[in-house]
Amino acid sequence: MENFLQAIDTLTIKFALAAVLLPLLAFVVNVCLPGKNNKAAGWISTLAILASAVLSIFIFSKVWNQHQVHQQQLWFTIGETKLYAGVLLNNLSVLMLLLVSLIALPVHIYSTAYMKNDENSKRYFAYLSFFCFSMLALVVIDNLILFYVFWELVGFSSYLLIGFWFTRSKAVLANKKAFIMNRIGDIGLLAAIAILFTVYHTFDIEQLFGVNALVRSTAFELPGGWQYVAFGGITLAVAAKSAQFPLHTWLPDAMEGPTSVSALIHAATMVAAGVFLLGRVYPVFTGPELTILAIIGAFTAFMAATIALTQNDLKRILAYSTISQLGFMVMAMGIGAYSSSLFHLATHAFFKCLLFLVAGIVIHEMQHVKDEYKLDIDPQNILYMGGLRKKMPLTFIAAVLGGLALVGFIFTSGYLSKDGILIQSFEWAERKHWLFQLIPIGAIITSLMTAFYVTRLIVKVFFGEFKLGEINPHIKLHISDGGWQYKLPLIFLSVCCLFPFFSLNPTLYEHAWLLEGFPKITGLDRVNIYHAIVPVGINILSLFIMYWAYSVYVMQKALPLPESGWLFRLSYHEWYIDKIYNKIIVEPILALGKLARWFDINIIDGFIHLLQRTGIACAKITDWIDRNIIDGLLHLIAAIVLGIGNFARSFQGGKVQYYLFSMLAIILAIFLFKILI
Amino acid sequence: MIGLSDFLIVSAGLFCVGLYVILTKRNAIQVLIGIEMMLNAAILNLVAFGKYDRLANGGQMFALFAIVLAAATTAVALAIILNVYKKYKTIDPDQIHELKD
Repeated sequence: MENFLQAIDTLTIKFALAAVLLPLLAFVVNVCLPGKNNKAAGWISTLAILASAVLSIFIFSKVWNQHQVHQQQLWFTIGETKLYAGVLLNNLSVLMLLLVSLIALPVHIYSTAYMKNDENSKRYFAYLSFFCFSMLALVVIDNLILFYVFWELVGFSSYLLIGFWFTRSKAVLANKKAFIMNRIGDIGLLAAIAILFTVYHTFDIEQLFGVNALVRSTAFELPGGWQYVAFGGITLAVAAKSAQFPLHTWLPDAMEGPTSVSALIHAATMVAAGVFLLGRVYPVFTGPELTILAIIGAFTAFMAATIALTQNDLKRILAYSTISQLGFMVMAMGIGAYSSSLFHLATHAFFKCLLFLVAGIVIHEMQHVKDEYKLDIDPQNILYMGGLRKKMPLTFIAAVLGGLALVGFIFTSGYLSKDGILIQSFEWAERKHWLFQLIPIGAIITSLMTAFYVTRLIVKVFFGEFKLGEINPHIKLHISDGGWQYKLPLIFLSVCCLFPFFSLNPTLYEHAWLLEGFPKITGLDRVNIYHAIVPVGINILSLFIMYWAYSVYVMQKALPLPESGWLFRLSYHEWYIDKIYNKIIVEPILALGKLARWFDINIIDGFIHLLQRTGIACAKITDWIDRNIIDGLLHLIAAIVLGIGNFARSFQGGKVQYYLFSMLAIILAIFLFKILI
Repeated sequence: MIGLSDFLIVSAGLFCVGLYVILTKRNAIQVLIGIEMMLNAAILNLVAFGKYDRLANGGQMFALFAIVLAAATTAVALAIILNVYKKYKTIDPDQIHELKD
């Protein structure tokens, strides 16, 4: 029996490795393929991720709610320290494995159509596969060092994909920003890992945070200050990857990448990594730290929702809604609703991916209209859209389903997960200081604002009349839902937005099967009244707000906020956070850079130039001395020797009479010499 | 009265003339004549100093030997000059500079 179990485990591990490495293989094959726009590239990547998804389903069925599978091998040894690396499959990792591959699959299928006319589609699919590989590996790895490596790779591959259209300066700025922001978080994670290793002497995630978590044991305790540094580092890492305040500003700018990439980043691969990290290292947090997380999450959710209210860029609205939902997840982690947070991560992945794919189709068709009539418009601006529901009915239905799930409307998956978080936040705040009540109340307000901006988005895009058509009556729309590569992912994801996929009981979140895989929330009393009031109240209020928004935008009622008010401007300019960062951080750093450049050119280079000139001058002097004095001396000696030689030679002319004459002269000289002395 | 110094003066003059001839003439025969003049200056000295040896007349005898020897050497020198002429088609000592290094 034991052996049998082990054999099954080994098989699971092998399957997990295959699921992780297949996208890497696809990446390598795609890189080696000839040509820039190779049709095969898309299908290779899609097949790889399809195989990963199938394997993930198998692994999920083997591991979920059964014993966890953990195998490792000696990686390397430094002195006494042995480092092990391996695969850790527990409920959290198999859930993420399944989620990532299931989300990536429709995105891949969609991309084959979406990117088919791009001249660099081969490169695109290579990056996409690499992205999926990094995330899948991040999910299953059991070693903090390798975790960090894949964490970086996720950031790096998202950098490649955000800047995929690298000839657009905005895309380059955006991916630079995303990369730098993520580096800030990476530093935090690295510091946290270093601290954990120093205290516990292991990188093993299972040992550190598993069943008998070292970080919970009383034998080793993190020394006071270091606990907070580690917490700060992890928070920084989560804030950077999952776009939490104050490091969230890269996510809206990351919209410069292809829309299918945005769908992947927002749903499963990039931003989910932050929440996943929280889930992995959860035992390390203490009570006050969790409260800080909750505050960060709640504030981010609220702020992002207010910004999403007034944006006009289709993808930007969705980006801020993602930040808002991620805020919910971090907040849920903070209030101890571990399972609800991951539940929301899963449901959010599906409906946000769906919404982005819808946005991609709409933008794609608007781009066609723009190209056809040579218009000077931004194809992502929702002010130019309208009335598209008649032309693209399937997209419309998908958008409505996704939107309802995002709002948390009953019968959708979003209802189950989000209301779970809201209810538990009320229960959490129950016996605390009244200030803590702000968090659930803020979450409720955020939730209602979500209803408003989602309605605004859908109404502006799909209802009313086509705005461009009103301006220019010549424009005829011949746009459609697109081919099966568009339709199939939409249908799949739409179905996943509905409640039966997660729970058979559409009204009570606690019956969701997903929640059973994670530890139950502890320390909170179940307050029954919240379980009745909160969902019902939210749904009724959301209905009102949605109707209100519908009436504002379709029936042209008065705007809820005057466009000149400071609240509107605050929201429209995204709380001026980018501008503040520009003023406080970017500009001083640029100024510092300029100063350093000036210093470099004038002082350091100047010093070097001075040295150089001195050297040249010295060399010139030496050269002169060499030529004139040393060489001159040699030449003088040579000339003397030559003269003497020539003089002596002249006596040996070979003529007899000269010899005689010389003899005579010498004898005369000797005689004269004798006479004179 | 003709004294010893008169002989010596004539002899020295003859020697200088011979020396001059040897150094300046462009003809080997003339150079040979110059050599003879110098030889004769030396013989003249021998004869002049021979007056102080009246008993053995060593000076006179030595002079006779020297004259004979001079005739012999002149014959040899003329033969050399003939051979030189055969080889170089000239007897100008300036033109013959095979002796140089």
